[in-house]
Amino acid sequence: RVSSDGKPEKFQPPPKPVIIDKQKQREERRFLSPEFIPPRGRTDPLKFYIERKDMIQRRKVFNIPEFYVGSVLAVTTADPYANEKASRFVGICIQRGGKGLGATFVLRNVIEDQGVEMCYELYNPRIQAIEVLKLEKRLDDNLMYLQDALPEYSTFDVNMKPVSHLSHEEVPVNKLQVRMKPKPWSKRWERPKYNIKGIKFDLPEKKMKEAQKWSQPWLEFDMLREYDTSKIEDKIWKEVSEGL
Amino acid sequence: MMPIWTKSGKKHAVTLLKVQDCHVLRYISKEESGGKTSKLLVGGKNASPFFKSESAMEIFKEAGVPRKQKVTTFNVTDDAIIKPGTPLYAAHFRPGQFVDVTAKTIGKGFQGVMKRWGFKGQPASHGQTKTHRRPGAISTNKAAKVYRGKKMPGKMGNIYRTSFGLKVWRINTKHDIIYVNGSVPGHTNCLVKVKDSKLPTYKDCNKNPPFPTYFADGDEKLPEDLYDEEIFQFTDPSVTY
Repeated sequence: RVSSDGKPEKFQPPPKPVIIDKQKQREERRFLSPEFIPPRGRTDPLKFYIERKDMIQRRKVFNIPEFYVGSVLAVTTADPYANEKASRFVGICIQRGGKGLGATFVLRNVIEDQGVEMCYELYNPRIQAIEVLKLEKRLDDNLMYLQDALPEYSTFDVNMKPVSHLSHEEVPVNKLQVRMKPKPWSKRWERPKYNIKGIKFDLPEKKMKEAQKWSQPWLEFDMLREYDTSKIEDKIWKEVSEGL
Repeated sequence: MMPIWTKSGKKHAVTLLKVQDCHVLRYISKEESGGKTSKLLVGGKNASPFFKSESAMEIFKEAGVPRKQKVTTFNVTDDAIIKPGTPLYAAHFRPGQFVDVTAKTIGKGFQGVMKRWGFKGQPASHGQTKTHRRPGAISTNKAAKVYRGKKMPGKMGNIYRTSFGLKVWRINTKHDIIYVNGSVPGHTNCLVKVKDSKLPTYKDCNKNPPFPTYFADGDEKLPEDLYDEEIFQFTDPSVTY
């Protein structure tokens, strides 16, 4: 080949092939359910160890899938008063609370123009099945503000088909900014205490500045509030993966 | 405290109590103690021997046991006497039994009359002058005195209290843990005394308990976990109706 100058072009080696080792990616992405991490306190670690044994035992018999706040789940519970002795509820997970065997998650849906929130316990033996219809994360850990958002953001089809998600890919983060109903809200979501990133605030600048008056910028530097869970998580991850 | 589910799907809250190094320390006969029944002194958690006088350490030396943090007495019938020095385990109790638990309640310090005795206090507004949490009147005019035991502010908590009639749901023989229904007085990791229930409804509830106690070096080999019949064990599949 001849370049525009007229001199012969320097030899360009071909681009090196990039090898994506999918097995390594799968190992790197590990998910430890948040209820396994013990809270900070003066309780004997033996109590958490025994609780974890029970939790692992339950997970061996009944599969609790990986899910985050913001994913859409369908839960079938055994109900003595229902027609087929089982009731199914579909909704978006807005909150995951509790530690140990009492861990709960709250699902929200709007059924026939009525908002419904159901709080389920993860380890309740009456739960027959938990299916993840759509696995995704949101910008916040707590989506309680959906109660004050427009109902279209909380409606999910009860007969929704599960959206497939490959196990080695990273969990997609939905950067949706939700539009709210006019004020008053159940909580003042614009305040920095809630640290919400997923709302499109249409409030005037003055109100947003006034809300910043309640900010506590020293909180992130408070050393007594630090709780480093990395080593605890490693130990618990080893225990859990050996058990399952 | 932990949740526990029954086979019908109901949830109960349960407190975990650990039996930590319990030994029988001394036997006091009926005549010696002067009561109606003979007594057994039982010691709890192991503690350091350096902070007590020699005379206090005599009991532990006789029994051949390290110094215990807490020593309690149990009134015992003559056929249930145990030799001093025998260790006591959680398997002494069986699931389905009913139990009374005694402990020192959480100390709240000097407290006012509203928190200590549940008085209603006075309204926050409508002209009240410096009176919102006070006891108000303490006696009548005719009495001309204040009765003994009048409820007034004072130190609250840090006294022995008992919860009666608690059901034992599960026993872990490996770690010596008793799962007892409901809540128990005292803070987390405090020392607690567990006795068979004295309530008349549960008099005939103990079906063949280990008598006088469960001996670890005996012939009986217990499984690691003992469950009550109604408990949902996590090895079973989900509950259906």
